[in-house]
Amino acid sequence: MAESMKIGTLGMKRLKVMEPKDADDVHARSLQLLEKMGIKVSSDEGRRLLKEAGADVDDNTKIVKIPGRLVEEMMAKCPHRIKMGARNKKNEFVLDGKHCYTCTDGVGVATIDLDSGERRPSTLKDVADSAKIVDYLPMMHMYNSLVTPLEVPKHAHTVYEFMASLENCEKHFTAGSTYRREEAIHMIKMAAAVAGGMKKLKRRPIISTLTCTTSPMDLGQTTDAAIEFSRAGCPPHLMAMPLIGATAPMTVAGAVVLGNAQIIALATVLQLAAPGSPLCYSTEPMAMDVQSGLFEGLFPAADMVRAAHVQMAKYYRIPIFVGGWGTCSKAPDVQAGYEKAFSAFICYLSGADMTSGPGLLENWTVLSFEQLLIDHEMFTMMADMLQGFKVNDDTVPMDVIMEVGHEGHYMGKKHTLDHFRQMWQPMVTDGQTYKTWKDMGGKNAVDHARDKAKEILKTHQPEPLAADLKKEIQQIVAEAESNIPH
Amino acid sequence: MTDKQSILSELENGIKGLQQEAVIEAAKKALAAGVSPVEAIEHGLSKGIRDVGEKFARKEMFVVELIYAATIMEEAIKVLEPALKASKEKRTSSGTVVLGTVSGDIHDIGKNLVRIMLEAGGFEVHDIGKDVPTERFVGKVKDVHAALVGASSLMTTTVQVQKELVDSLRASGIKAPMMVGGAAVTEEWAKEIGANYASDANNAVVIANQLLGKR
Repeated sequence: MAESMKIGTLGMKRLKVMEPKDADDVHARSLQLLEKMGIKVSSDEGRRLLKEAGADVDDNTKIVKIPGRLVEEMMAKCPHRIKMGARNKKNEFVLDGKHCYTCTDGVGVATIDLDSGERRPSTLKDVADSAKIVDYLPMMHMYNSLVTPLEVPKHAHTVYEFMASLENCEKHFTAGSTYRREEAIHMIKMAAAVAGGMKKLKRRPIISTLTCTTSPMDLGQTTDAAIEFSRAGCPPHLMAMPLIGATAPMTVAGAVVLGNAQIIALATVLQLAAPGSPLCYSTEPMAMDVQSGLFEGLFPAADMVRAAHVQMAKYYRIPIFVGGWGTCSKAPDVQAGYEKAFSAFICYLSGADMTSGPGLLENWTVLSFEQLLIDHEMFTMMADMLQGFKVNDDTVPMDVIMEVGHEGHYMGKKHTLDHFRQMWQPMVTDGQTYKTWKDMGGKNAVDHARDKAKEILKTHQPEPLAADLKKEIQQIVAEAESNIPH
Repeated sequence: MTDKQSILSELENGIKGLQQEAVIEAAKKALAAGVSPVEAIEHGLSKGIRDVGEKFARKEMFVVELIYAATIMEEAIKVLEPALKASKEKRTSSGTVVLGTVSGDIHDIGKNLVRIMLEAGGFEVHDIGKDVPTERFVGKVKDVHAALVGASSLMTTTVQVQKELVDSLRASGIKAPMMVGGAAVTEEWAKEIGANYASDANNAVVIANQLLGKR
């Protein structure tokens, strides 16, 4: 059996990568862009909502100039706390700015096979297996399909991903790439079937969705789907993916402003569609390798944009979901370790409620089960630091210190016994002596992670869906397959 | 008899459950009920500590709990000590071990763990502490006719002292095998100086049993 889900606490003083006046400036410049140049809104419904609210809409170019006061009015409607429901109620949680969570990212197209170690096209079984592992891991809080199943009908892949998650993971699901309204409608239908109807789903949204805007200054193709999710009370994560130097200016601050403008414009549309509906600020910036022109998620500049966007979400007092943990590495190796650790940690230090990205390599395109376990381990280490510590009579046992004296030790003390369980414990990290390590096969963290992943897949069994519910979901998937346009 | 049995299981379960007060109470009860102190130790406390040691080896219990259990056992033995001295009974032993941290090294937590595990394994352990001069080691080994000598070093600067210790023991005609361990020690080093390497506290019990021809 897996341990029950554990939640991280943000107890430390928050890191701010910008001065407060710079955050004001980012906001002011974002409004200036939205008012003066406007943003492209492809969604007919989105343009209609904005027009009704007083924005200057050009239906030919689809450019909408949004008054700053409208944006500010709509940003003020966004809830500060968001409940994240789950198939199993014990896995539910609240994004409240005081806790930290983690989620897988999607949607990769290849998997490093757990048995052969070969990189191969991803399958529905990979979705099921990785969902099962996420269900097991105590500090993975939600699942986004790590890879897409390449053998299912392409136009309906999102519903297959959701079905595989529901069958193998009792935690919250977030959709990684819902582009069309029809996909959203069917996924919401599936979620409502699990939650017990639309009303219950609204109270306990077991699904959310990533909604990618397109840089520069285009809300992209996902707005209609996001509107559906907002109306159902299932939070969309409004994501900007500025590519520094390519689809955003060649500076951190430039990318911060551009991304922020896109996010608050989309939030305006969604609050017009469903006032007071839950949503998350979200960001997944990338940087361009200026030598080759390749874009990569790993560069320090991109991580600075992430941290600045976390600060902006705090500025608007809305939860933030950061796409991070980027690495360009092809294997679960040292490079993957340091890129991911830096990326995730600066976001959490800045106060991110949620980050996603564990388990993926090659700029979020390739699943490594070993990396998933290692990233989870890194998160547990970060969470241990992020909770901070208190200074009081219990945490500083003056009497025990004086009793132990000058040469004794604290190992046999009741105070030690009472507190040691709060200490971080490794799952896959090697901490053996050389001899024991050597005798046990000289395994490193990647080997331990592989063993652990295999063990989980062999022994962990999430609660299966009730037979009639499973049937109902299969029917919705079949319906979706014929209704979603190719 | 049932009264004695229940006292013995109170001692054993108190150690397993890390309940200091309950164990001390049970030790006092044992004296009052006329239970032999040797029996109280061997069929009560030791059974408890062995169980904790085994759980520690299986990673079901933590080092902090093991040491806490040993601390409780020490306190309980203090209660039993006067009666133990008065009685003619002797505790059975898997062998006599002299244990210490070598001269120049004050790090003794690992050595203390080894003591707990050896005692739990039925050895009679004479722990002579930390930063122990070589001549005191040799003297103690002679005094108690130790069957095994255990020496630990944490600092790389003190491993050399382990070699001096082996040489001194052999020069004094002592043939008792020597077991070495500690963060600075490797298996290769142990071989080089004619000693036996124990990688951790659990392994020390395995090695001690092998060296003394048991199991």
